[in-house]
Amino acid sequence: MSKKFSVLLTVLFCAFIGSMSVISLLLPDKDFLPLENRYPQKPPKLSAESLSSGKFMEEAEDYVSDHILGRDFWVAAKAWSERLSGKKENNGVYFAAQDTLINRVDPPDPAKLDKDMGYVDALVGNVSVPVYFGLIPSAAEIWGDRLPEGAPTAAEQSIIDQLYFSTGASTIDMYGALAPHKDEDIYYRTDHHWTSLGAFYGANAIFEALGLDPIDLNDYRKTTVTGQFNGTLFSTSGVRWLPPDQIDTYVPDQGIKVTSWFKGVPEEGSLYADRWLAEKDKYSYFLGGRQTLCVVEKEDSDGPSVLLIRDSYSDSLTPFLTERFSQVHLFDPRDNLTSVKNYVEDNGIDLVIVLYSFANFSTDQNLFVLAR
Amino acid sequence: MVFSTPIFMFYFLALTLFLYYIVPRKGRNVVVLCASLFFYWWGERAYVAIMFLSTAIDYTHGLLVERCKARGNDRGAKLAVTSSIVFNLALLCFFKYWDFIAGSLQSVGLTFMPVLGIHLPIGISFYTFQTMSYTIDVYRGDARAQRSILNFGTFVTLFPQLIAGPIIKYKDLGDQIDRRTCSTEKFASGVQILMVGLGKKLLIANNVGMLWDSYKAMAPSELTVAGAWLGVLAFTFQIYFDFSGYSDMAIGLGRMLGFEFLPNFNYPYISKSITEFWRRWHISLSTWFREYLYIPLGGNRCSRPRWMFNLFVVWAATGIWHGASWNFLCWGLYFFALLMAEKFLLLKPLERAPALVGHVYTMFFVMVSWAIFAIEDFPHLGSYLKVMFGLGGVPLADGAFGYYLLCYLPILCAAALASTPLGTALYHRLGARTQQIVCTVLVAAGLLVCTAYLVDGTYNPFLYSNF
Repeated sequence: MSKKFSVLLTVLFCAFIGSMSVISLLLPDKDFLPLENRYPQKPPKLSAESLSSGKFMEEAEDYVSDHILGRDFWVAAKAWSERLSGKKENNGVYFAAQDTLINRVDPPDPAKLDKDMGYVDALVGNVSVPVYFGLIPSAAEIWGDRLPEGAPTAAEQSIIDQLYFSTGASTIDMYGALAPHKDEDIYYRTDHHWTSLGAFYGANAIFEALGLDPIDLNDYRKTTVTGQFNGTLFSTSGVRWLPPDQIDTYVPDQGIKVTSWFKGVPEEGSLYADRWLAEKDKYSYFLGGRQTLCVVEKEDSDGPSVLLIRDSYSDSLTPFLTERFSQVHLFDPRDNLTSVKNYVEDNGIDLVIVLYSFANFSTDQNLFVLAR
Repeated sequence: MVFSTPIFMFYFLALTLFLYYIVPRKGRNVVVLCASLFFYWWGERAYVAIMFLSTAIDYTHGLLVERCKARGNDRGAKLAVTSSIVFNLALLCFFKYWDFIAGSLQSVGLTFMPVLGIHLPIGISFYTFQTMSYTIDVYRGDARAQRSILNFGTFVTLFPQLIAGPIIKYKDLGDQIDRRTCSTEKFASGVQILMVGLGKKLLIANNVGMLWDSYKAMAPSELTVAGAWLGVLAFTFQIYFDFSGYSDMAIGLGRMLGFEFLPNFNYPYISKSITEFWRRWHISLSTWFREYLYIPLGGNRCSRPRWMFNLFVVWAATGIWHGASWNFLCWGLYFFALLMAEKFLLLKPLERAPALVGHVYTMFFVMVSWAIFAIEDFPHLGSYLKVMFGLGGVPLADGAFGYYLLCYLPILCAAALASTPLGTALYHRLGARTQQIVCTVLVAAGLLVCTAYLVDGTYNPFLYSNF
């Protein structure tokens, strides 16, 4: 190796690692990583305890990685590199057909499902009102034909059928409601949730299970509130080469009173929270995002009052539910560990719906709350 | 700390190199020593005490051996060597094998040894072997005892090869610890080798590692014959590119600091026999066992039964060195059986047969060995091997196999090519000018792509926590 060339390589290497470390250190700390939709690691706290437990080291490694110069660029570059190397997935997200990203759903642990179904059945026994149970299949199931050939994913439909067969709750046929419409935009392409259109079909599946009249899409005018939605799958996959999604609404926010418990105290909310449209996490436009409890009341409605044990799929579903229910109480067991039984008795609830997306149901650790 | 993390590359390495080159020449070992201690403390915290203990004990023993020898007291020298070997083996056995032995005894009803739940100090199998070589080399007169405890500490803790090898014998490194030259040429060649190692680890090993993990996690009923082989092929590439990648990184980092380490892998997958494979795979471990175990036992200059016994001991030790679990012992003895078969039966016919036969034969047995190596749980291993040989009552292939094959085919082909000397040969045929351009482009592209994988490193396993 000639001297000149050695100098070139040495300078290239040292300049790269040197500038990466110095500039990363000088950059101001970020509070939020919008493209990845998550909070970065805070600077690790130095203490004898954090040093001896190794917590300091773990946090320091995450901190360095989260605050590195050009992080968004590196994340996107890795997704590109995976794609160019022939991979059809990155970080557990499939690059599916029709510009769609689809989360891989791992086959759930049967023992965990058994235990959780026990909680559902305990709820049926605990309360004197009817309990309905619905599992929303994920895009990996309904849009299976968009997945790369042979891509492994859980057999959701047959698992849902088995769970429905054995439970004491009345069931809601979400699969039957969504599958016939698989050629429509019922899920977002860059987010794991269903769209308002998907939620509309879901709402009718609920009404059908309850023996209520279905609602008709022709009675609504579709409003597109944003065309710049890059969802959770955009964030985790690192895929930056797809066009963004659009968010539509159908039900106008009129004659509806929303009370939200974001921080433990009631505050006035709304079906649609416009401020989220300016943020990365635009799905929180529906009801304003994750909250402990949310009560949605419809004026002049003589429908039943329903308690919905929810995950985030229910946020875009709720506008349609107000068409048939006088009150919708959204109860999130992840944040609300109080007794469901007491809540039903104290609030004059007429029926309970346990509604989860398949993927959340098979991973959620807080379903024991149902039996409380 | 692991090499393939942003904190190592952009902070630890950058700062260490900076300090190393700004302090006066005689302060360099202190910088390396402090950096190495920090490096080990970062990952293992309290266990850094082992470094101090090892350094102090082996340093004294080395001096003791030399003094006894100078006085012609061979008995005393032997005693000191033995005492140092006992200390190192005790360290290794306590941390690595205590729980294994206790657990095995308990499973047959003997409960006098409690299972302690000891966390294995990372790299202990590598550094205890290195320090053991020191007193032996001094005793044999292959090296002079180290006078400076700081220099000796630098040898014991040297971070580039501390946690995943190569295992460097003191006689190969002692002089360099005392005096070594640093030059831009050496540094630049270090950069090249480091980049090769990083690329092997981040771009190939981690990638095919995900494929192997998918197959390893499947229940036997979900496997297919073709899938089981694809999984093992993935692990075959993962272990080679991961391990040789770490060795390359160690060699590259060493050069940046002025050290020259011997190569640890020499394209093992192009071997035409298992005998040849073990001359090319993890060379520093095989030579260690040859020099410090096989030859002292008598090597092959003895009766045939004794020679076979010596080999048996060496391969049992090689197996169990890789992890405190029965499957590693089986893995070592599997190679003992194959090597015996080759020595008595197969080597001659293999030499006469077309090269392809030797390659296919070697890779077949090597791949089967990796299945034994990778699956520690015996029932799981049994059913996996059954599926591989078509006895699992599962289909030949399924949709998932097609998916994985298609996804990973480009990487697997790249890995196969990179397992041969083809790329290096092509590179050496280029003119000097073209070589420089190609090399610059590769290093620059390597830095960029590897950084992307470092930053979004959701999957970055460390395979040698067992060793």
